[in-house]
Amino acid sequence: MESLTSSPVCNLGILTSLDNDSVQEILQSYDGFCTAANSLLKSSGDLSLEHDFVSHVHTLCKHGLHILSRDYFLRLLEEAFEKNGASRFWRYFEDYSKIEEDLEKIDEDEIQRVLCNALEEICLEKENQEKCLLMLVHALQSYMDNLTDGKPDFDVGKVYLFSKYQLIVSSILMANLPRHFPEVLHFYFKGRLEELSTIMDGELNEENEHRDRDEMDLDEKNKYRTGEMDIDECYSQDKFSENSKLVRNIGKVVRDLRNLGFTSMTEDAYASAIFMLLKAKVHNLAGDDYRSSVLASIKGWIQVVPLQFLNALLAYLGDSISFDQHSSGIKSPLASQPSSCYSGTNTPSEGLIRWKLRLEYFAYETLQDLRIAKLFEIIVDYPESSPAIEDLKQCLEYTGQHSKLVESFISALRFRLLTAGASTNDILHQYVSTIKALRTIDPAGVFLEAVGEPIRDYLRGRKDTIKCIVTMLTDGSSGNPNGSGNSGDSLLEELNRDEENQENVAIDDDFNTDDKQAWIDAQRWEPDPVEADPLKGSRNRRKVDILGMIVGIIGSKDQLVNEYRVMLAEKLLNKSDYDIDSEIRTLELLKIHFGESSMQKCEIMLNDLIDSKRTNTNIKATISKTSQIDPVAAETGISLDNLDATIISSNFWPPIQDEALVIPESVDQLLSDYARRFHQIKTPRKLIWKKNLGTVKLELQFEDKAMQFTVAPVHAAIIMQFQDQTSWTSKNLAAATGIPVDVLNRRISFWISKGVLTESLGTDPSDHVFTLVDGMIEAGKNSGNTGNCEELLAGDEEAERSVASVEDQLRKEMTVYEKFILGMLTNFGSMALDRIHNTLKMFCVADPPYDKSLQQLQSFLSGLVSEEKLELRDGMYFLKK
Amino acid sequence: MAIWHAVASWTWDAQDETCGICRMAFDGCCSDCKLPGDDCPLIWGACNHAFHLHCILKWVNSQTSQAHCPMCRREWQFKG
Repeated sequence: MESLTSSPVCNLGILTSLDNDSVQEILQSYDGFCTAANSLLKSSGDLSLEHDFVSHVHTLCKHGLHILSRDYFLRLLEEAFEKNGASRFWRYFEDYSKIEEDLEKIDEDEIQRVLCNALEEICLEKENQEKCLLMLVHALQSYMDNLTDGKPDFDVGKVYLFSKYQLIVSSILMANLPRHFPEVLHFYFKGRLEELSTIMDGELNEENEHRDRDEMDLDEKNKYRTGEMDIDECYSQDKFSENSKLVRNIGKVVRDLRNLGFTSMTEDAYASAIFMLLKAKVHNLAGDDYRSSVLASIKGWIQVVPLQFLNALLAYLGDSISFDQHSSGIKSPLASQPSSCYSGTNTPSEGLIRWKLRLEYFAYETLQDLRIAKLFEIIVDYPESSPAIEDLKQCLEYTGQHSKLVESFISALRFRLLTAGASTNDILHQYVSTIKALRTIDPAGVFLEAVGEPIRDYLRGRKDTIKCIVTMLTDGSSGNPNGSGNSGDSLLEELNRDEENQENVAIDDDFNTDDKQAWIDAQRWEPDPVEADPLKGSRNRRKVDILGMIVGIIGSKDQLVNEYRVMLAEKLLNKSDYDIDSEIRTLELLKIHFGESSMQKCEIMLNDLIDSKRTNTNIKATISKTSQIDPVAAETGISLDNLDATIISSNFWPPIQDEALVIPESVDQLLSDYARRFHQIKTPRKLIWKKNLGTVKLELQFEDKAMQFTVAPVHAAIIMQFQDQTSWTSKNLAAATGIPVDVLNRRISFWISKGVLTESLGTDPSDHVFTLVDGMIEAGKNSGNTGNCEELLAGDEEAERSVASVEDQLRKEMTVYEKFILGMLTNFGSMALDRIHNTLKMFCVADPPYDKSLQQLQSFLSGLVSEEKLELRDGMYFLKK
Repeated sequence: MAIWHAVASWTWDAQDETCGICRMAFDGCCSDCKLPGDDCPLIWGACNHAFHLHCILKWVNSQTSQAHCPMCRREWQFKG
């Protein structure tokens, strides 16, 4: 006999040296070995067979056939396992082969039960086989012990045998693996995790209650671990033992699965189950409610449910193969209690930390995707949804997927906001909200710039943008036709806030502001995010300033100021009292923002109103002093008491539209009287009346009732003609009031709509007859809202503005250049827009210098195109032939 | 009729439109002022030429000897 480690080649040498006896012996013992092995496997490690088996093994070994015996035994094990273990194991799951098709039908408990049973069985089988294997090992060992003192050799042999066996087991299982098995596992883990989650949730609530009652919850928990228990603690211990039992069950399943070589599959299964649960949780928590922050609760949930689960699981599995060492510690429910995150005493393992990071990242990403998809809605109700914005900010800080936000938000904007159907006001409000919201997410304003660009471009294309902006600036609530109120105030608020900032700066002025500011700036400096477009200007000056961005839409503040002036003029001229407090306030705020000089004219306008008030009272005072009654006033029953005047410095007001209007004699005399008195007070100055401007409060007296109106002078002049004569033809009336017939027809419809006048066809078809309605019976029929209510200015007043609009002014100014442009085009044939612009800039330097913007020029040229003086083809302008 | 709130614009009752010194409109104000009207009144000289008060005062004060009207070179006397 040579050494056991001899190679097969050496064994061949042995074969030749065999005699008949030994062959006989070998054959006998081999047969014996085979039967013993078979019966051993069948009886699953019956000890009574051991002696027989060992002796046969020894005999075979003696003849150098230990490898043969080993291989045979392994093959036997393999066959037995395949027959008894694997096939039976898989049979358990045959019912679930359709698992993917009908998810609803699956009974989770059933899966759990089946899986546990199957695992238990197969593990038992495996255990038995391992016992048999161990027996073989022992037999080999005892033989070897007799031969030499080969301890180290033996160990290698055992490890080799077991790993080989393990390989056999897993390869058999894998070879027969049904496709749906991972699904089964997934469902199992999902079910278990959900169960755990509900338990934990209950516990969480419980805990919160505790916390409400007792801030020292943490201590309490530690206390009860040291053994001091009161009733609550007992209760929560029950809970703990319940869920630790659950975790242990899961742990057992996982261990069994690992045991069978399904380690990675199992991990995949529970990881995906955890992620799915997490995703569902995030969706559930986040939902469509933007009014509360969910990030903290999600994080808390991650701590409480999946992490504790993993913690327990990893602890149970020993986080490594050395399961046996840990298992003893895990037997007690208290020790396995997953409370490391609370007590913080046992440092979490590296694997756990990795899991935690993975989970949190996933949670952030899920939430971020959810929020980004809904960003449009979130911003629509921005001030209320700021918690959601905060969440998003944190998520983005973590994930860094800002570009995703920008892209998806821009496409949402394009799709939902920047359409013809959206009113300019709404777009502006959304823009303001966007600015505010994105400012929280990204104080540097880089992404805001990217997002704002399409909105700005779009708004520039709209005509009423400036008007809307100014309306938003001046009066918030009325700026929003939907009546959804406060959002319009935002710009005014913004003005206010700016003011506060200015005040703060003013306080700082006491110190050496420059140095201090520079230092603060330096401290605050942060590098631009990578996505920043280097082409878009210097970053350090990019202050996110809402008004600045709004003004940026328009292009220049001059245009804005101009529009504001027009609107202010309109408003002031239609005021019947001298109450301008709110306007003064707005103007002060605007002055802070746009600078004193640009608001100069507006200030003068407001001053005019204040002066007018003073002058008005002065003039009234002269009446009471002289006190003798005007003969005219006595006649008509109206005196200077009925007359107020707004006296304007016309140079500083926007151009005012003059319309001819002959006002009734009595009023006219009043006006000249007023002018005379003004001339007396302010000696070398005189008044020029703008008779078509102002407001008139009227009371129409009929036989049975009186009606009050506040109307424009034109309407008053018209209706007053009916005092003496109840029926007028339109031509006569036009002559009497001094306004063209068509204008008259337009204006008089106001009174017709109020049911005061009726219109009927006269003898001449173009000459209508208007008659004063006698009695108000018909009036009541005509419109319900007359009565004695005080009507505001007529609706068509909107169209008939008393002040020339900015466009009109522009057109007037541009007509000067019309000749230049036409001349240029005659010479050059065709020219592009910017070439015309540049040429005008170059040559029209003298009186009046060309100072219009490209856009203004474009709108003027398109006006010329529509007048068919020019033609526009492929961006080139031609003379119309 | 209850109240007629009319609108008027004021103007200086002068023959000329603009101040001969600052070339600004009389209805406006001189280059140093911000508010027109009472805060920047006109003044007439004996020669019936009108200027912004501030403008002509500056002119008068800048002359070493007797000041003359910038328009007609007559001796400047405030009217009235």
